[in-house]
Amino acid sequence: MAIGFEGIAVNAWLVWLLPFAGSAIIAAVARSGHRIRDYTAVGFALASALSAATLIPLALQGAEVHSQIPWISSLGLKAGVLADPLAIVMANMVGWVSFLIMVYSTGYMHGDKDLTRYWFFMLFFIGSMQLIVLSDNLLMVFFGWEGVGLASYALIGFWYYDRKKDFVGSEGHIAGGIPMWASPTHAGLKAFLMTRAGDTMMLAGMFLIFMHAGTFGFKELVEDPSWAITMSQQNLLVPAAVLLFGGAIGKSAQFPLNEWLLEAMTGPTAVSALIHAATMVKAGVFLVARIGPLFFALATIGAFSMQQFFEVVAWVGAITAFLLATQALVNPEIKKVLAYSTGSQIGYMMMGLGIAGLSLNFVDGYTSGFFHMMSHAMFKASLFMGAGALLHSVGSRFMTDMGGLKKPMRKTYIFMLLASLSLAGAPLFTSGFWSKDAIFAAVLESGYNYSWPLFIMAVVVAVMTAFYTFRMIGMAFFGKASKHIEEMEQHGHHVHEAGLSMLVPYAILAVASIAIGVVGFVFEAQIHALFTEYLAESFGIHNKVEEAAGSAFNIAPEGNKTWFGLNPLAAAASVGAFAVGGSLGYIFYIARKADPQVISRSIVTRAIWKFLYNRWYLNTALYWGGVVGPLAIYRLIWRYFESTIIDGMNPALQYSMTYMSRVVKGGQTGITQTYLFVFAVGIMIIVMLLFL
Amino acid sequence: MVDLFSTPILVTVVLGVVGLAIPAIDAAKREKGVDRNKLYSAIAFGALIFAMGIVVFRIFAGEVLPAVAFSQNVLADDMFGSFFAIALLLVSVMVTASSWNYYKGKSNPAAYYSLILLSSIGMVIIAYSTDLVMLLVAWELMSLPTYALAGFTKRDPISNEAAIKYFMFGALSSALIVLAIGLVYGITGTTNIGDSIKAMSSLDPSLTPVGLLAVALFIAGFGFKMGLVPFHMWLPDAYEGAPTTIGALLAAGTKKAGFAAALRVIVLGMFALNLDWTLTLAIVAVFTMTLGNLGALVQKSVPRILAYSSIAQAGYIMIGIALAPYSDQALTGSLFHIINHSVMKSAGFIAAAAVATALASYSLEKYRGLGKRMPITAIAFSISLLALAGVPPLNGFWSKLVLFGAAINSGPLVEWGPWLAIAGVLNSALSLGYYAWIMRKMYMEEGPDMSRVKEPRAMVAVLVFAMVFMVGFGIWHAPLLDFASRAIPDLSNITQASMITSGH
Repeated sequence: MAIGFEGIAVNAWLVWLLPFAGSAIIAAVARSGHRIRDYTAVGFALASALSAATLIPLALQGAEVHSQIPWISSLGLKAGVLADPLAIVMANMVGWVSFLIMVYSTGYMHGDKDLTRYWFFMLFFIGSMQLIVLSDNLLMVFFGWEGVGLASYALIGFWYYDRKKDFVGSEGHIAGGIPMWASPTHAGLKAFLMTRAGDTMMLAGMFLIFMHAGTFGFKELVEDPSWAITMSQQNLLVPAAVLLFGGAIGKSAQFPLNEWLLEAMTGPTAVSALIHAATMVKAGVFLVARIGPLFFALATIGAFSMQQFFEVVAWVGAITAFLLATQALVNPEIKKVLAYSTGSQIGYMMMGLGIAGLSLNFVDGYTSGFFHMMSHAMFKASLFMGAGALLHSVGSRFMTDMGGLKKPMRKTYIFMLLASLSLAGAPLFTSGFWSKDAIFAAVLESGYNYSWPLFIMAVVVAVMTAFYTFRMIGMAFFGKASKHIEEMEQHGHHVHEAGLSMLVPYAILAVASIAIGVVGFVFEAQIHALFTEYLAESFGIHNKVEEAAGSAFNIAPEGNKTWFGLNPLAAAASVGAFAVGGSLGYIFYIARKADPQVISRSIVTRAIWKFLYNRWYLNTALYWGGVVGPLAIYRLIWRYFESTIIDGMNPALQYSMTYMSRVVKGGQTGITQTYLFVFAVGIMIIVMLLFL
Repeated sequence: MVDLFSTPILVTVVLGVVGLAIPAIDAAKREKGVDRNKLYSAIAFGALIFAMGIVVFRIFAGEVLPAVAFSQNVLADDMFGSFFAIALLLVSVMVTASSWNYYKGKSNPAAYYSLILLSSIGMVIIAYSTDLVMLLVAWELMSLPTYALAGFTKRDPISNEAAIKYFMFGALSSALIVLAIGLVYGITGTTNIGDSIKAMSSLDPSLTPVGLLAVALFIAGFGFKMGLVPFHMWLPDAYEGAPTTIGALLAAGTKKAGFAAALRVIVLGMFALNLDWTLTLAIVAVFTMTLGNLGALVQKSVPRILAYSSIAQAGYIMIGIALAPYSDQALTGSLFHIINHSVMKSAGFIAAAAVATALASYSLEKYRGLGKRMPITAIAFSISLLALAGVPPLNGFWSKLVLFGAAINSGPLVEWGPWLAIAGVLNSALSLGYYAWIMRKMYMEEGPDMSRVKEPRAMVAVLVFAMVFMVGFGIWHAPLLDFASRAIPDLSNITQASMITSGH
């Protein structure tokens, strides 16, 4: 373990400092030409990713770098980076995916008049995210956290001039009195405010811990567990942990703060890719991955229970996964389907991380959640960038305006298909299959009392995932070309393949996603080993299967890892889910053997469709309760309190003060004799006051 | 007796030599029609920076004693003195630098700068004095040049009136101080502050009224410079009538020297006398801030508003002095506010001087549209006004926070303590009534003439420095607060010492 500034520690600092430096100079660079500016921006992202890559050997050795400098000395706070295996793996994932997205942006955003602003916020976004990943204390995490929030606000609302084509949602779609389509500025604001709700909780949690521990540092927090014991005795630790998790709920768009993610699709598609694959929503998962083992280790040392915290994490994840998967089934917009899918997949990750703390083998659940995050980062970034290419050439965000694109956009089709298979969890050769399977297995083997309901939900979600993925591919690439495309062709606009700068990034990620899948179980075993060592070294968390006999867990672990490290039941379930969901999707949308319109024939299915299409009316409830209601109350207060009572008092105050001021002014005669008189009286008064 | 290499002596030598050399050069090389203002301004500026460098260097070199209450010598080279020396020299530096523009083309620049330097010596020595006679000499050295400076525009009747009023009250207060020193010497037989306070604490009861009278006279005498109600009436007239840069020197500089003297004599003396004097000072504090703010509310001349505002600010500083025995933070807050106020108020007056240089008017009406006409001056003025009002994150916020916090924390010891905080907060709100009004004139209203005006460069430089100071120490206030707290003598020793001596 190296401490200080020497050698490799500098690289750890550079990982997050470089993007910030890039964003600081980009406006100046922009003066010397657009080309140089674009290359500079991409160059800084590359440099950051390379710095992250230099840390990989450390992670493979299971070593870590912890470097600190004094920051706010009066509070004893230090700024620092902590590059442990978790942070290094994450930083590389963020760095490289971001770099590819930046490359893609050069093509996708080509010719936009506000590119300087775009690069500024993209680099700021990446820097903030890397700050979250690498900082060694909660306070700096929070700085990065807010930076991510700011950048997402600015990028979601990037096209602030609110052209109709940048909106999301179908115009005229009203659910429960609330419009379901949104402009970029509205969406940016919505994202900002909703994540702020989570941030407030996080801040409260942070300071609750700080009040008792006197430090924000992850290392210091685990070194001296006495604060945790005190807090748990006062029943404060679980609330504090859940409050921290509140921040993750907001950032990762988990239930009940999930609604902003869908409107966030108003941003440029490259931004969506960045938000969904590398930064923003992954920040929440990373936070849980950071604090999860911490609380678990503290609970072990202090012999108190953190089970409720992990239960909250797991169930929030499961509910979100289910909720958003159902909504993805019916949405006509390709980016929104992907957005729902992201929320749903993040739910899986939360489930994995949550179940870790509820199980006998912390490492299994932890690895599964993290592994799923990695594979999701790759295939989701690829899918978003591919979707961006579709939007680019078709000029519409609706899948109903696509169709039959298999031929004209063959390469995009192939790579999106590969990435989709990973999302759907096609068995054996996709990374998505292995990571999802790992989560299933972790849930099954956890020994948690309610692992079965969790497992069933997870499997149902997997079925739906396979279905909506095939639906998306089918609607976009198969069947006949839509009316929209025919009209375009009549006007002489031909659907064309994306350019190289766009195609290559998502090709790389799609292929990588499959490549990892092919060696899936080896790869998983590697990560498992890495995290086993990491958790044991840093937190003293060991596999507890052996010691579990006769412990508080009354259910024996289900099954054993026998067949290539696979849990047979979990593997069967994930293969089955893919088969059921995939074949349904295939029949309806690819082979087109049956017309999806069948659901309109029955009242029940129609009602379900409407319920899902209206997003479970959650958005409606949010707006009534959070926007329309409060505004009405404010208006009442303004009308009957402010404008009558407060405004009535104001003139009174004003006139009385003016009057008194004139009295004082009148006393200031300008005549020296008066002044002397007052002076003399003053002395007498002082003497009298002193003698009293 | 006095170490020749102590800070006050070195500063005196540097400023004294240069201060006397400037008129000598002028007498030797006087040519008709040549304005040598810039030369003298540069020399004076250099001398003041050098003097400040000496003070700072000696602090960092560890040559300066920690803050002491008393010393057997006439001067104590301690942190208390150094703190005030830096605050006061800062004001002189800003004043001289801005005079580069302000005093251009006016008569007798050599005498002008020479007097500023000599007055600065007086201010610095006051802060280091531990002997009443030394204090009196320094007091006069500080005051006499400023009487001349206040009336420096000879042909301007307002300036003359200001100087005469200022001089009359100055003479009166000097007389009171001399009388007070005489009384102290008469009953204790010494002029050393430490010795006389010790002697006073074991005074024959029949002589106690004389001691009290002396304290009252000190309050009145120093209170005149501090601008405490009811000794404040000369102040708006003098600050307004004097050349505006001199207004800055008076409001930000000599006023602070008054506080230094008061802290050395009154507060320490009162600790020894074991009087219930705090309520008196608290009443004075509340009246001072309230009257100052009320007076400023309906004025039409900007220097006059600033003059009243400086009365109000003296009231805030008095909160800390009144609560000195009850809270550790109180005096720290006072000193912190003193150094902040030095910069804030200088910036305000210098901004007004810049406007006067460019537009030849002090009237608030002329400030309409200033945000467009003189953008840097306007923003610096706004920041100084906001800092004076105590708006976060500016430096004025933090010192008020410490002061009001001390007042609230003194609650368990003294029941009226928290009321001072309430009075302070209400007054801060009231003060925004005229601070914000000026800003409104500058930014939200448009005058008949909206053409861009050339901003005087040296003044802009000074204002930018002040802005950096106000914003910088607003964001990171810790070093300044730390400096202020190190400048406070350990008061617990004093009270204990007086207990021991009076206990027999």
